[in-house]
Amino acid sequence: MKTDNVSVAGLRRGGMVLTLIGLAGLLLLFWLSFFWVSTEIRQGIVQRIFYVHVPAAWTAFLAFGISALCSAVYLWLRDDRLDRAAACAAEGGLVFATIMLTTGPLWGKIAWGTYWTWEPRLTLTLLLWFIYLGYFMVRHSTEDPEKGKRFAAVVAIVGALDIPFIHLSVLWFRSLHPQPVVVKPEGPTLPGDMLTTLMTGLAVFTVIFFGLFLFRYALEGLRAEADLRARQSTA
Amino acid sequence: MSRYMAQVGAIMWKDLVLELRSRERLTSMGAFAVLAGVLFSFSIDTASVRTQDVAAGLVWMTLVFGGLLGVGRTFYLEAEDGAFQGVLTSPAPKDAVFLAKTGANFVLLFAVSLLVLAVFALFFGVSVGANLGWIILVLGLGSLGFVALGTLFAAIASGTSMGETLLPVLVFPLLVPMVVYGVGTTDRLIAGRPLAEVEGNIRMLGAFALAAVAAGAVLFRFVVED
Repeated sequence: MKTDNVSVAGLRRGGMVLTLIGLAGLLLLFWLSFFWVSTEIRQGIVQRIFYVHVPAAWTAFLAFGISALCSAVYLWLRDDRLDRAAACAAEGGLVFATIMLTTGPLWGKIAWGTYWTWEPRLTLTLLLWFIYLGYFMVRHSTEDPEKGKRFAAVVAIVGALDIPFIHLSVLWFRSLHPQPVVVKPEGPTLPGDMLTTLMTGLAVFTVIFFGLFLFRYALEGLRAEADLRARQSTA
Repeated sequence: MSRYMAQVGAIMWKDLVLELRSRERLTSMGAFAVLAGVLFSFSIDTASVRTQDVAAGLVWMTLVFGGLLGVGRTFYLEAEDGAFQGVLTSPAPKDAVFLAKTGANFVLLFAVSLLVLAVFALFFGVSVGANLGWIILVLGLGSLGFVALGTLFAAIASGTSMGETLLPVLVFPLLVPMVVYGVGTTDRLIAGRPLAEVEGNIRMLGAFALAAVAAGAVLFRFVVED
């Protein structure tokens, strides 16, 4: 138990450090994206939401990826820590996917003229959001927690396997219904100051995610320990 | 190998005989298909939309909703009298149980999909004659992918306190590729377009079905273990 306590304290300290760095970085990111970076010429001021939207999307996909990977290894090794990591990452993924799904339509309303369009990446994120909603519903609706963990892991794995199919199919679906051209400067075409701001955003969101992840992970560890003690005292 | 097939066959046969005697799921799915066709007929303003243009989408929606009705109850009867424990403790490996359950569900859903097609051909005046064989193949591949996912998640849902109400939340997001390719293909086949236009989609439907069956066979053991 002693070693566990130490590791929980260490996790929380790590979470605290990362979260504080992340929050400070967030202030920097806001300053960069509101005052420093030049305004994109075709889209105007609305393009600045890009520096929150893209990092949120990246973080959500990273989180869901971690969750699916941990789920698969959990079914193999049956180490509770992997299940906890999968659940914590999934929770973070849901939060960042929600950010992506709110900032995307806000931008889309002005850039595309409509809040929602079946743009492949938007569609994939929406479906992932629902897959992970199912993940938590399954997890919390079994009497036996072990069963809930296994069920949730299966949901995460099938969801991950379905991603290529979903992506290909919505791409194909989109080619049937041409949308307004997506004016979205990307990759090497992005001017230097925008690239800097975007990279800052990516780093900041990733750090915040891992900070929150460590907090959640430490909390789940304490919860598991408390459950164990409760069971021992009743036995 | 032949032993494995015999085990799959035995469980599948048991399920089909059970269904033939009770006709519980087949009746409810069949009635659903016909009645959905009736309701859809009244929900479309034929003055503004040609029914042939939307028929393919409605066929697949009826198949998905009706199929969920039946597939969701895959484990219901056995769970009720504890017979499923018997199936699981039998020497048959877990993936054989999954393949048998999926196979039995496939037979049911494929029969229902043919009924759905007939109903829509009748009510909506859709001419399916030209590409009938291919339309049936597409419905078959779609049904296979659907029942594979449906059976796996029905096992999960029946193990939760929420039961079948959980099933749509789990299955619908995963079914998007099947609906996109299924509707896109059926639509063009009904319109009498050349086969070359839909070949790629049929292959994707096949790949989806195959992946769903394989994933279900591998993951089913984690769902039913104690």
